[in-house]
Amino acid sequence: MQVWKDIYNYRELLKTNIKKDIRGKYKGSFLGILWSFLNPLLQVMVYWIVFPFIMGRAGAVDNYLCYLVTGIIPWTFFTTVVNAGTVSMINNSGIIKKVYFPREVLLISQVCSGIINFFISCIIVVIFCVGTGAGISYHLICLPIIAIIEAILSLGIIFILSAIEVYVQDIEYVVGFLLNMGFYAAPILYQMNVLDGAGILQKLISLNPFTVLISAYRDIFMYHEWPDVSGLAAVFCLALVILLIGYFVFKKLEKGFAEKL
Amino acid sequence: MENINAIEVRNMSKSFKIEYDRANTLKDKLLFWNRGNVEVHQVLRNINLNIKKGETVALIGTNGSGKSTLLKLMTKIIFPSEGTIKTYGKLTSLLELGAGFHQDFTGRENIYFNASIFGLTRKEIDQRIDKIIEFSELEDFIDNPIRTYSSGMYMRLAFSVAINVDADILLIDEILAVGDQHFQDKCYAKLEELKDSGKTIVIVTHSLGEVKKLCHRAIWIYKGELKLDGDPIYVIDEYLKQSAIDHKEERKKAKEKGEFKSKTIMYVDSPRDLAVVKNVNKMLLRGWKISDEENTKLKVFIDDQEIEGIQVQPRPDVYEAYMEQFDGMLDSNQIGWKKEFDVTKLGIGKHFLKVICLDEKDNELSSKEVEFSKE
Repeated sequence: MQVWKDIYNYRELLKTNIKKDIRGKYKGSFLGILWSFLNPLLQVMVYWIVFPFIMGRAGAVDNYLCYLVTGIIPWTFFTTVVNAGTVSMINNSGIIKKVYFPREVLLISQVCSGIINFFISCIIVVIFCVGTGAGISYHLICLPIIAIIEAILSLGIIFILSAIEVYVQDIEYVVGFLLNMGFYAAPILYQMNVLDGAGILQKLISLNPFTVLISAYRDIFMYHEWPDVSGLAAVFCLALVILLIGYFVFKKLEKGFAEKL
Repeated sequence: MENINAIEVRNMSKSFKIEYDRANTLKDKLLFWNRGNVEVHQVLRNINLNIKKGETVALIGTNGSGKSTLLKLMTKIIFPSEGTIKTYGKLTSLLELGAGFHQDFTGRENIYFNASIFGLTRKEIDQRIDKIIEFSELEDFIDNPIRTYSSGMYMRLAFSVAINVDADILLIDEILAVGDQHFQDKCYAKLEELKDSGKTIVIVTHSLGEVKKLCHRAIWIYKGELKLDGDPIYVIDEYLKQSAIDHKEERKKAKEKGEFKSKTIMYVDSPRDLAVVKNVNKMLLRGWKISDEENTKLKVFIDDQEIEGIQVQPRPDVYEAYMEQFDGMLDSNQIGWKKEFDVTKLGIGKHFLKVICLDEKDNELSSKEVEFSKE
């Protein structure tokens, strides 16, 4: 298992990278790390104010504010990781061209800092749950499991995207668009029953792994239920498959990085 | 039996694809996929090499000969097109200084960032941190953010981390030209120390003098091939001979094409410009000229009056300085000139000393004028 050995040997790089990601990102700004929560929060506010007016039926959910928060924060976790991960080879081209180290460390640290940020953000989700009257329960112990499934899925995806990005730099913009679209392809703003009778669209959206993940988050945060185990298991298997394929693609393309960058 | 080699290179070739107008975007790739202006450029050809543990080896060669590429291949940043490269032991490459530095963090934190890229663990860095700070001579500034550092301080910090990494194999690319003379001496002393402690060092450099002092062995890469491998003094001598030949060759070609521009440098040591001279009967006129033209002539005038009987003088100091630039064109014994001149003949006031260098056909190559006055 050369992979594990490499990563273990370079664990300090992983740690310092995470530190740089989390603390360095907002260094120099007045509110610092608070921005990583403020952004999704402001986004929630906008949707909360605007959505019920323009979408009528879709916004008519009990405790819509809490519903939004429990959807948007996990989704932000994913988009942050994918956005940053896709360009991470390009952004670090300086050291990739000059120093040997296992390149996957860059991506793993990206996911790790994402997950740490997410766990801190979860405090805000909990505050909202309590504040809006939804309350909290012991079902929250499932949170790490769901988060890890999401993290594995993101890691697999950025393995593929970051490697291709080195060769075709359009990927970055395609990803930007797909993430925008993905926001509407999962029940983040609306409830699944809005789509009743939409036929194939409903089918597709219910097959979206993020539909499963976000419903699972809502189950444990808002509805105090155990999440759908079979759904999560399916997403977990999918995530593992993507991770394996991603790692294979990454390793295949990695050798040309220094020449192409 | 234990392997005594640190680096083994076998039948190794490397070629780069050079794409003109590289199709970078998806649109370009789709539209112009068959219009590829791809040229394969062979950088290294069939290299076979063993570097033993504990050896200090220099790679020498002219720019573009492929020596840096070979070093990059050894670090596994790029990979051979054919053949294999194997390394045994922990390897660190000092190809880039300050990798992973972050402007907003302090010097101390950046030491951790930078050292972690070289694969050190926290414990290992903790052990070295005092040594690193001491070596960089930045004790007073180490807890300031490095955006406040001057570029010299930045490089010193970066180099101190790199040199203290302590791997079994160290690959160094032309980075020893850091900081002032004092710091450079310190770096070479450190390399000397590493060499004595049995590390394997591979170094790419143009400072041939240092190679002779530091290295056990020099490897000369010539146009992508391994030309010579052996004792530094011999290899460097052959290398200089070859580059002198190449230089002449190039000059010849350029001359045929009519593109050749000759280069002549002149200097007057005495009198200095705007000097004041007493009324003595012996004033020393002295200077030197170097040129890459053959059979140049020198003429010296004072106030348009040609001075006869100029003596030729050896100038090893000038030769040393320009040896590389004027590969093979200089004769140490023919560089300087001098003449003792009787000032009493001159009237009081301003005078001009003019030195002109002429080529075979009496075209002026260069001239130098110095003004002096007599009391």
